[in-house]
Amino acid sequence: MKFSKSSLTRRRLLASGMAAPFVSAIPGLLTPARASETTKIQFMYPVGASGDINTIISGMITEFNETHDGVEVEAIYSGSYDNTEQKVITSLGVGEPPSLWLPINSALQTFLGLDAIEDLTEQAKSDDIYDDFISGFIDTTVSEDRLYGLSFQASTPVLYYNKDAFAERGIENAPVTWDDLLETAKALTIRDGDALKRWGLIIGGGWHDWMFEAYCRQNGLVPWEKDKVLWDRPEAVEALNFWKTMVDAGCMPKASTWQGAANDFMAGTTAMLYHSTGSLTNLRKSSPFEVGVAFMPKKKTFGAAQGGGPIMIAKKQSDAKKEAAWTFARWMTNTQNQAAWGEATGYLAVRKSSWEQPEMQAYLKEVPQAKVALDQAAYSGAFLQVPAYSRARDVLKSAIDRTLEGEVAAEAALTDATAEVNREITRVLRRQKG
Amino acid sequence: MSKTFARARRNEMFLAYAFLLPSLVFLATFTYWPILRSIWFSLHDVMLGDPEIYWLGLENYTRLLDDRLFWKVLGNTAFYTLTTIPISIVVALLLAVAMDSKLRGMAIYRSAFFYPVMIPSVAAGMVWVFLYAPSYGPVNEALTTVGLPRLDWLYDSDWAMPALVIMSVWKYSGYFMLILLAALKLVPSDLYEAARLDGVNAWHRLIHITIPLVSPTLYFVIIIGTLHSYQVFDYVYIMTQGGPADSTNVLTFYIYQTGFQYQDIGYASALANALLFFVLGLIGLVAVTLGRKVHYLGER
Repeated sequence: MKFSKSSLTRRRLLASGMAAPFVSAIPGLLTPARASETTKIQFMYPVGASGDINTIISGMITEFNETHDGVEVEAIYSGSYDNTEQKVITSLGVGEPPSLWLPINSALQTFLGLDAIEDLTEQAKSDDIYDDFISGFIDTTVSEDRLYGLSFQASTPVLYYNKDAFAERGIENAPVTWDDLLETAKALTIRDGDALKRWGLIIGGGWHDWMFEAYCRQNGLVPWEKDKVLWDRPEAVEALNFWKTMVDAGCMPKASTWQGAANDFMAGTTAMLYHSTGSLTNLRKSSPFEVGVAFMPKKKTFGAAQGGGPIMIAKKQSDAKKEAAWTFARWMTNTQNQAAWGEATGYLAVRKSSWEQPEMQAYLKEVPQAKVALDQAAYSGAFLQVPAYSRARDVLKSAIDRTLEGEVAAEAALTDATAEVNREITRVLRRQKG
Repeated sequence: MSKTFARARRNEMFLAYAFLLPSLVFLATFTYWPILRSIWFSLHDVMLGDPEIYWLGLENYTRLLDDRLFWKVLGNTAFYTLTTIPISIVVALLLAVAMDSKLRGMAIYRSAFFYPVMIPSVAAGMVWVFLYAPSYGPVNEALTTVGLPRLDWLYDSDWAMPALVIMSVWKYSGYFMLILLAALKLVPSDLYEAARLDGVNAWHRLIHITIPLVSPTLYFVIIIGTLHSYQVFDYVYIMTQGGPADSTNVLTFYIYQTGFQYQDIGYASALANALLFFVLGLIGLVAVTLGRKVHYLGER
């Protein structure tokens, strides 16, 4: 089942066709009074991967509105994760937040600090949430044993590779270790004199701090605790030095952009790419070659930080709206919808039952790549859930950039960044304590 | 007699204030009040989305002194202003002098050079992202054609800022050209004729007649240009988001990041006040150095 236009229409027809006899049989239920009780709620969402995700989400919302009397969801596409967070926080400032929104999971402590989100623990217990959501995903929305959201678009970075380019160089398998990765990237790089024709590897820019956390985890370090970051540890320094080695070897660019990196991969100007699993469908369908997907190579272990985010529900709103929001959030994360959403995008369906759907099984048979990120998720954890995470991300990205540019050594950059961010975290926590 | 005169004068004053009031209210609401508020906020810990504020004294300002990024951003802003404005004005002046002739079809050229001004800055930014694209961008294609090395432009921390400067010159020059052209039209042509009779060449005519006589306008353009350029935000937001490695992060963008992305309104206010002083200093510098050299026609 796909969220393409044609099947949506088909479904819509089916739904209305099935509903018709009931509607005509019980006209008393559809009085104007009931129609006026429609609860209108707003849902702010970003697009964090590559491809036509906006159309897919708005299609889902349209379908929800058509199949649910009494609730009307207004879809507000709000740009990137950052833009979405800013819009939500600004509207919190004036006391009129949207009913639900979709932030990156790292924002959990930020919203908790603002006392902005509804505790969903009890509702979830009386539902099948704790049984059917994959624990690695739902755990990213838990703080001190309380649940604050329903995972919606779970993702990790994965290694995409151009199978044609691999075949052309006689490389059979995707790299498994960091050392393999370096050798493979070197072998795949093509230069014509000074001019570069193809990079061996691009790490999707703009989210390279997310990838960096994966490298830390692969080196046996979760680089943060709930009130500090640990980027100055030797494991992290070693990871950044490895990146520098790849840049110095000329097989990886110093910087890139998120969309640009995906475009480069599809255009064949890089042979390997670290990008979100949420980009799988777009990369697979838009590339003129066969796309391979593999775990990100390991050092001591495989590892990844989870991107993507949960749907959160605002605390400061009427009970009617909260109930409507819960209905909508549950619908967006139900078995069918998660299966279809995962297939349409490449994001990982968050429910165990979604993966057991016959359509999903058929899809996995056809596109075995889709399962790689799910398997890799076993080695993953939440992404940088510290207070002031947004500044922390920028500081880390800056430290990485400056190191790769050769302005500063990895250790000095990371030590400074750690001190700066931990000062910020202390400042924010001081404020929360009053 | 004098009583009625005084009353008339009072009426006139009253009328003047009545006319000024709407714009004063507007300024007070949207300019002076926010400035005062940002000074107040800069002395507090203020967080976006949270009504509570906590007194900090001067802590936000001492943080500023230790903030490596702040100094880098300040340097970037100064670099951007001190390159964009002089280059745009020289280009604009040369264009204006070239356009100030009565050749056929001159209106077309004038419109052509003014055209970039009319393009919305977001659209212009997007177009230049494409022009600068390392692998397929026309700029690199052009460089290759003339045998120059290709550059990574917006992805290279050494070239990202110059790339922004080049596009800003393209965007601003036409606007300055138009203003300077209007001033050139006012320079009496007999001065040029006299000079030509004395055998003064074009370069000297430019230096000794044109520039002194349009200097009030030039001064105006410099002030306006400086005000525009320290406010640069749109191009940074669209084209680089301040990167790579903060090489294109400028004060306005850093204030936006701090206030809205990091929700740190207190510190953002301190930064905004630093910007205020930066601009006052810059304008003061221009006034003290260039302002004294301005030659007003008819002035002794």
